[in-house]
Amino acid sequence: MKQLLQKFLLPVYLCLSVTLGMAQNRELRGKITSSEDNRPVPGASIVVLGTARGTTADAEGNYRLQANVGQTLRVSFIGNKSRDVVVGNAEVIDIVLQADDNQLNEVVVTALGVKEKTRSLAYATQVVDGKVIAETQRDNFLNALNGRVAGASITPTSGNPGASTSITLRGISSIGGNNQPLFVVDGLPIDNRTFSQGALVSDSPNRNNDYQNRGADINPNDIETLTILKGPEATALYGIDAASGAIVITTKKGTSGRGKISYDNAFRFDEVYRYPAFQRTFGPGDNGTFTVPTRLYFGPRYPADVPLFDNVQNFFRTGYTNRHNLGLEGGNDRSTFRLSVGYTNQQGVVPTTDYKRLSVRLSGTSKINNKLEVSSSFNFLNTNNTKVAKGAGSTLLALLSWPQTDDARNYTNNDGTRRRLNPNSDAQDIDNPFFDAYKNRNSDQNNRVLGNVTLTYDPTTWLKVQTILGADVYSTAGNLLFHPQSNRGISTRGSLENFTELNQLFNGQLLVTGKKQIGKIGTSLLLGTSFDDRRYSVDAIRGEQFYEVDFNGINNTPPTTQRAKNTLNLVRRQAVFGQFQASYESMLYLTVTGRNDWSSTLPIANRSFFYPSVGTSFVLTELPGLQGGKVVSFAKLRASYAEVGKDAPVPYITKANLGPQFTTGGGLALGVTGGNPDLVPERTTSYEIGTDIRFLNGRLSLDAAYFNRRAENQISAPRLSYGTGFILQYLNSGTIESRGFELLLTGNPVRRKDFNWDVSVNFTRNNSTVLSLPADQPEFYIAETWMFTNVRNSLFLNRPATTFGGNDYVRNTKGDILINPANGFPVKNPNFTEIGDRNPLFTMGLTNTFRYKNFTLSGLLDIRRGGDVFNANELFLYTTGLSTRTLDRETPRVVQGVLRDGLENTARPTTNTIQITPVTRNDFYNLAYVESDFIERNINWLRLRDVTLRYVFPASVLGTNKLVRGASVFFTGTDLFLITNYTGADPSVNGLNPSVGGSGAAGFDYGTIATPRGYALGLQIQL
Amino acid sequence: MRQSIFVAVLFLFVGLSGCTNYLNVNDNPATPQIVSSQVLLPPMFAQMVRGEIFDSRFAGSYIQNWASTTAGNVWDRHGYLVSRDEGADKWRSHYFGNGKNLFLIIDEATASNRPAYAGIAKAIWAWSLQSTTDWHGDMIVKQTFDFPRYSFDFDGQEVAYAEAVTYANLALADLAKDDPLSPVTIARADLVYAGDRAKWSRFANGVLARNANHISNKASYKPDDVIAFVDKAMASNADNFLAPHAGTNTDDANFFGPLRNNLGGFRPTIFAMNLVNGTTLGAPDPRQGLLFNASSDGTFRGIASTQGDPNAAGSATFIPTFWGGNTIALSGTGRGMFRDNAPFPIMTYGEMQFIKAEAAFRKGDRALALTAYRNGINASFDLLNSLELDVAKRITAAQRTTYLASKAVAQTAADLTLSNIMLQKYIAMYGHGMLETWVDLRRFQYSADTYTGFTIPTSLFPDNSGKPVQRVRPRFNSEYMWNASSLAKIGADKLDYHTVPMWFAQP
Repeated sequence: MKQLLQKFLLPVYLCLSVTLGMAQNRELRGKITSSEDNRPVPGASIVVLGTARGTTADAEGNYRLQANVGQTLRVSFIGNKSRDVVVGNAEVIDIVLQADDNQLNEVVVTALGVKEKTRSLAYATQVVDGKVIAETQRDNFLNALNGRVAGASITPTSGNPGASTSITLRGISSIGGNNQPLFVVDGLPIDNRTFSQGALVSDSPNRNNDYQNRGADINPNDIETLTILKGPEATALYGIDAASGAIVITTKKGTSGRGKISYDNAFRFDEVYRYPAFQRTFGPGDNGTFTVPTRLYFGPRYPADVPLFDNVQNFFRTGYTNRHNLGLEGGNDRSTFRLSVGYTNQQGVVPTTDYKRLSVRLSGTSKINNKLEVSSSFNFLNTNNTKVAKGAGSTLLALLSWPQTDDARNYTNNDGTRRRLNPNSDAQDIDNPFFDAYKNRNSDQNNRVLGNVTLTYDPTTWLKVQTILGADVYSTAGNLLFHPQSNRGISTRGSLENFTELNQLFNGQLLVTGKKQIGKIGTSLLLGTSFDDRRYSVDAIRGEQFYEVDFNGINNTPPTTQRAKNTLNLVRRQAVFGQFQASYESMLYLTVTGRNDWSSTLPIANRSFFYPSVGTSFVLTELPGLQGGKVVSFAKLRASYAEVGKDAPVPYITKANLGPQFTTGGGLALGVTGGNPDLVPERTTSYEIGTDIRFLNGRLSLDAAYFNRRAENQISAPRLSYGTGFILQYLNSGTIESRGFELLLTGNPVRRKDFNWDVSVNFTRNNSTVLSLPADQPEFYIAETWMFTNVRNSLFLNRPATTFGGNDYVRNTKGDILINPANGFPVKNPNFTEIGDRNPLFTMGLTNTFRYKNFTLSGLLDIRRGGDVFNANELFLYTTGLSTRTLDRETPRVVQGVLRDGLENTARPTTNTIQITPVTRNDFYNLAYVESDFIERNINWLRLRDVTLRYVFPASVLGTNKLVRGASVFFTGTDLFLITNYTGADPSVNGLNPSVGGSGAAGFDYGTIATPRGYALGLQIQL
Repeated sequence: MRQSIFVAVLFLFVGLSGCTNYLNVNDNPATPQIVSSQVLLPPMFAQMVRGEIFDSRFAGSYIQNWASTTAGNVWDRHGYLVSRDEGADKWRSHYFGNGKNLFLIIDEATASNRPAYAGIAKAIWAWSLQSTTDWHGDMIVKQTFDFPRYSFDFDGQEVAYAEAVTYANLALADLAKDDPLSPVTIARADLVYAGDRAKWSRFANGVLARNANHISNKASYKPDDVIAFVDKAMASNADNFLAPHAGTNTDDANFFGPLRNNLGGFRPTIFAMNLVNGTTLGAPDPRQGLLFNASSDGTFRGIASTQGDPNAAGSATFIPTFWGGNTIALSGTGRGMFRDNAPFPIMTYGEMQFIKAEAAFRKGDRALALTAYRNGINASFDLLNSLELDVAKRITAAQRTTYLASKAVAQTAADLTLSNIMLQKYIAMYGHGMLETWVDLRRFQYSADTYTGFTIPTSLFPDNSGKPVQRVRPRFNSEYMWNASSLAKIGADKLDYHTVPMWFAQP
């Protein structure tokens, strides 16, 4: 590709050179691009030698300048070799700059879409190339970042189509609130909400369903670059929402010159290959004897001649995805445009599930005149997602507990009704997963428009005014139906819930930038103001008692059963901010920012708040004597400190809210959460130090960062005594400190004409400490995570913010387990104590890219060491007699410990000798365990996340007519293997979805389908 | 040029920061945050029922109205579920479901000069204080709803008793006031008495009657006061406090109906069945067919508490559910008081008459006691008949006459015993007055002399150390989780706290 373009541009350049000296004093224009990647070089300086005339290239690399024929233009830019071009007859002079490896010249898109030189940055950033993201062929681009970004923790909710993905940068800072970063596209924030079921009439706690995180709507193929701003140091100018970092996406833009058409496709097959293990020896029953159809497997052994069905295997199918992307771009020196159309159709491994996305994006840039430029983009997105329920009683768990002597595929009777195993007992007759998938309904459709307009006004060389206005408007229609014959619908005689979610986000910002060079000191001042106006509403309607059993519609329910609920949130914010930068030569940089926010969500007296940041970068290799080093080509130290204020996480909490009552007579009553008229903004303070060192002309580089962040005065709603009059109460309290170390090592061990090897390693080690909890309580927990038995996401004082709370053994002073003398079972401590920590010791990502002639092979290994996982699936299997741990049930055993007989803490406690044979006493499997037994500790994994082999057709194959300018074919494998010491299916799961606050439910493995492995084939051509 | 840009920017900033109206959008536009009493009152009845009826499942086990079909059920064994909220919905309703909502009503009604609403809210609060302390014992009284406190001290039961009296009297004072403004709205908002202040006054007096009667073991017990309160309380079944259920869907249906599906795991106990089949009282009671359902072989059966249900599904001896059928699907909308749309009796004329009978008996006025006792039985017949929709199943006048003349009912003042009164009260309160019945059983120390045939299970919950249950622990996820230090001060952190006798039951 590159070569082709170079071949195309070189003659143009030669042409220009040849025609010199044929005209006089004309206006020139052109585009400065880099030979490295053919991308524009914004900020390149163009001067007419011997005169005072000069200009800089704009964001697209374009320039405009008056010069006479015969005069020489000098084009220069840091990191590139300067070039002199003599002005000839042509009006358009495009110039290609060659990179100068001794210099460092990368430009990074930082807060507010401002491009900064990497060397000036006082904080760590990481940029991921859009090509890399697209190449993984993943539908949710966040999953493509998994393992690639130091400091990021990414957890997909499940392996189902349209599954949400949670991302946190640098760990947890909010106790119970949102820890997801801000998503910014082309300079303005967009919405990354995951629908929370609290807005439904049924007010469910997000356990039994999942909704796409809306940030994942973005078509990965539209991403040019993605910059990860990890903490408040980098995002101080973004303010409130970026206290947890920001994902800054720059989309692809059109380029001038010959128009381009690109098309690529991919066809992927997915298969589930990891399931929880379960026993196939003992059949249904109780205490060793057969009982009426039950889901407990404590009965006698299966007779040898009884056929057993593998209902789990029989259920899943091969998923199939096809994806097509078409890009059209073109333009001239004044205007460019790009149109992209992306279509994805993914059919999941669970029958009926699918995810379809259509994305149409049009972007354009035009120069109105020499000083005014307008650019705009417009993205229409349509997604359709068909899902199945998750969590208790759902697919995986129901498959596991379905009798193996029965073929679950026969889910209906001859008359089409649900085939029941135990018609006499509603409680035991949970749904056949086939019935659940085919007869219950669970889907949503989203239509979204993202648009923005940027106006840039350059009145003089030193001043720039830019304004961006954006809109992010979407609506989602959701449908959740429990069939009248399904177990979950039987008592309601069918239930149906529809919701319409409408999100309107209008935002805008005005930036005024001035630059002044005073001798060796460069200064710049940025002043800006922004507004952010969000309107979010959900209208939910629910009905029960279907007229026609198989009809999905609210009109199919009696009006007396219909219930509606409206949620309407308005949040408005305004801000003014400024940034002052000073630099000394290219060596020392100082950046100071300040921002004041006004938020509608806080009490009027407290709604204005200010916070500053300061950072410095010192380029050691600019010191005299260190310049131009052969081994150390570049070295920089950086340090920064930032504060960020944060408003209330939701509006209307300065006083209590009432809610509609659906009980007889209706009316309104106080909601579960008490308001607080005295709320003040939260405050996060953070510092970061780091270094960026490059060796051997950039063949090897190292970026290291240490950060420490403290979030204080958090606005959270802890549970308190009902003596408050509420169940939860909004308070300002709670402090979490998080700190961590990140390392990014990139190298280019082999660089030859035919063979190139790039390697990149990132390393993350984070930890956190809960320094204070709301209302001085000893524990704070995320209620939704309490989903199976007594394990939940609990925070304890002076412990990490990622711990499990749960039930453990009671022990004597010597540490022996206490045994109940009455039954020989261990005594369970009914209180929630810390029984594990989900935070890994470290995570690593290792990316290798090999290019041999026209073949490229790249792969990402994702490595994690440490961190605990709650294997709730196994506990479920254990208590139902399906766990392989119960296979030795015929073996008598004595639980090791001492009797709680009053002597347990004396010198001679009574050793337990009570013998239990579980096969005749299956309460052993319900009473003799504690939850902490099912926390699997120090879970490590090694995953092959993405691997792609690509063959690029050589120009000789493409023909001489130059119609096809580039073509390649590829194979991509996703999640091809997982090596782990985890005994369950997949340790990288989320028991809930990202709408849950705090450290969420990552590490809760309950009823979630393991990540499938996928094989994709595709082709890419460019015309 | 340069100056004008700076001036423009400056203006913009000033303009923004001055734009306060733009930010004034912090009042919930979807649901009002400030509302009138007539909006707050309707849900109060469902919340009263919620606390009472959720916990009645377990009270029903303690008093052996019913037992679990699964052997060894912790509630049958006078225990509780460790680390769980079951058994503490009274707590939830008192502090949350009714709780502050009542005070919103009181404040709004007082400000808008509508004493009827204020009186109703105070009467409900008095009832809630009384019934919550009778269930849980020590509770938060003085520091209730102190903002921004997050640790709340417990007060002894005598404090709650005094507070209930205070609020009942405050209610009576408000209800006695003229209120020309409320009638416009209250007939619709008050789902129980349609704004009839006289009936609310009777309800408030009913609370005072319970309050005065519960301390029958104390020297301070004054039977004359009890009788005086009863005489000002419900005068007939028309005054019954029946909280309605629309029964159209799971939200507004009776918790004990098949739609809500909460009674499928319970069957009547042998003790309860014996009270109406003639075994205990010597003559069959026609109420048997209104309260219970016969197996397919035509026989009414009960199960032994703690031992589960031995009758296999599908067999002729299988005991139907309280809804009539063997499963939900076969039960329609339920029957009698266990119907989806049956009202839940919170307090009845019948109960009042039995309170009067007991007080008169203790006072020595047996004639008065006998009259009240027989009034109570009649009231029970009338109530059950009114709850049974199937006219054919209702008790006929002839059946009633036969029963009232039978040896199951004391015929003369001289024959009347406390046991007669309490057993008839037990039957009359079956299936709805479990919390009150439990108060009675505890006042009588679960005495088999009074409650003929009643036995405390031998296989008690391990932490009981052989003692019967006396109180239900405060709500786990309210107090044990978030107010533990206050609990420790009253000894509620002890494993056998639920066996500590109540203040009211002590001499």
